Formats: sequence, structure tokens, C-alpha cells
Amino acid sequence: MSKTPLHLSPQAVRGLTLDTEPYLSCDDCFDLADAYVEALLSDPDYDLPAMRIHLAGCAACADEARSLIDLVAEQDGVDPTPTMRRLEDDPKS
Amino acid sequence: MNLVGAGDRVPPRVDLGGADPQDWVEALSIPGPGQDDAMTRLHQLMVRASHHQVRRMRSMLAGVGSDRLDEIANQAADEAMMAVLTKLPTFEGRSRFTTWAYKFAILQSATEVRKLAWLNREVELNDRTQIVERGPSPASYVEAADLASAVSLAIDAALTPHQRQITIALLVDGVPIDVLAQRLGTNRNALYKTVHDARTRLRAHLIDSGHLPTPHPDQPEGTP
Repeated sequence: MSKTPLHLSPQAVRGLTLDTEPYLSCDDCFDLADAYVEALLSDPDYDLPAMRIHLAGCAACADEARSLIDLVAEQDGVDPTPTMRRLEDDPKS
Repeated sequence: MNLVGAGDRVPPRVDLGGADPQDWVEALSIPGPGQDDAMTRLHQLMVRASHHQVRRMRSMLAGVGSDRLDEIANQAADEAMMAVLTKLPTFEGRSRFTTWAYKFAILQSATEVRKLAWLNREVELNDRTQIVERGPSPASYVEAADLASAVSLAIDAALTPHQRQITIALLVDGVPIDVLAQRLGTNRNALYKTVHDARTRLRAHLIDSGHLPTPHPDQPEGTP
């Protein structure tokens, strides 16, 4: 009997083969999230690779970061779209 | 008391008059009328952020009425407020206090919604060992012309049973990390570390088999 192959969607393949170095824990991500979100919204060139990579690899942290961006942007009267788009970019770019 | 419906864009501010405290930590720490006012304002922030998060995730709770959604958001706001007050001494001013506080309400609400959405759903942990007679042969790698097939084989060959269970549950079956952590009596950190290590193993295996490019010598694996 041969092993039944897993059916993997393109999204699953991407998630399984993602390079998530440098490692950042979810707790560290939470600690950094508020300052990271404010910096992203105020500076189009701001980057923190460890956060960007963690958010690409952790769906829950990413959803919560996007929600915080949306909330802070609305409070400040700024458009969150460019910042959201940057989070969707290739995490290694 | 429901301040707003969960379907609203963002709960409107209730005008308490006056300005928010200049020093939230001080205002929340020193007993007196100023503390009472700061507590009320903080709770308002938590309600606002919790409703915002529940509204974002309401598609996960199809069939749940707006009253129940309000209840979920308000309860999460109360718990988030307790978390903020507990963590108050750790606020370092690296962001505005309001942004720092919002993230507690977002985390609490999001976790609660994910758990409720999976309340009556089974989480099946599959390490696939029950259907394995032998590991993949070299020929099977040749046949794995596409990356998806190669990844499937690598999951069997390169991961430990525990890594397979966690990785398949989170990345293939789409079980939310909070839900899996609750079912297994662990936490988000531990599960993410397991997935991180599994990804490292999978990538190394797929690089060896030629299905992923070898990292450039000047850019070792893991370098952004």
C-alpha cells in the first residue's frame, strides 16, 4: 500500500515552504505590534523584517495586526490601504 | 449595555467631555476622580476595539445574531480591560497608549471569535503514520514533478509525527492557532515554534531534492 498524497492547495504549499527566518515568537510579535503599526502608518519606507516575516507566517497575528492598522488609521483619518498592501507583499522582498 | 451594534463600522465614541489623560498610566494608577474618568475612557477604548474586531470576523460566526455579537464584543472588552490594567506597568511609551491598549482588545476578541467558531467542530490530528508502510522512494521524488507533490512527500519524510500533526492542522486543514492551542493545552508560541521548525526542515529537504532553489551563497537560508 502506498501512502495517499496530501492534497495541497497553492496557498498551503506557500505556507508550508515559507522561509520564516529570522524567528520571532507570537509573544514578541504582540509586544512589538503597536509601535510597528504606528511606524508603518507614518513612514512608507519603514521596515522591520522580523515582524514582516512573522506576520507572513502566522495568520492569527497577521489578522490582528491588520485590524490594528485599520483601527488606528480610522482614528487618525488616514488611508490604511497602502500599509495593508505592504503587508501582502513578498515577505522576503 | 450595548453601546452599538457589531455591524457598525466602528463604535462611535461616547463623548465624556474633556480630553483623554496626558499620562494614562498615572491617571489609571492614582485613586480619585481622575482615575474613575480614566477607567471609563479606557473601557470605551476597549469596547470600540472589540466591536471593531468582532465585526471584522463576523463571517466566522454565521447565524449568530447581532445581540450575541454585541455580547461577545462587550465581554471581550471587559477582559481586555483587565489585561491592560494588569500590564500597565509594562507600558513603555513606544507607541501611543491608545494603540497599545487597542491591541489587547483585538487579541481578546479575535481569540474569542475563533474559539466560538470552532466550538462544535472536531479537530483531527493527522500524522499520517497509520497509512504509511514505507517512506517515499527516490522514484517517487522523480514523479513529484510539481512542488505540491514534493511538499507532500517531504512532510512524510522530513517531519516528526508531532510536527506533521501540528503543521497539517494549522497550514493544511486551517485550524486557527488559538483553537488548536486550547484543544492541546498549549499556547500560540509553542505551536508557532513547531511550525517554524517544520518549515525549516521542509525547506532543507526540498532544497536537497531540487524542488526549491539553493540559497545564494551571499544570502544564506533565512536571510531576508
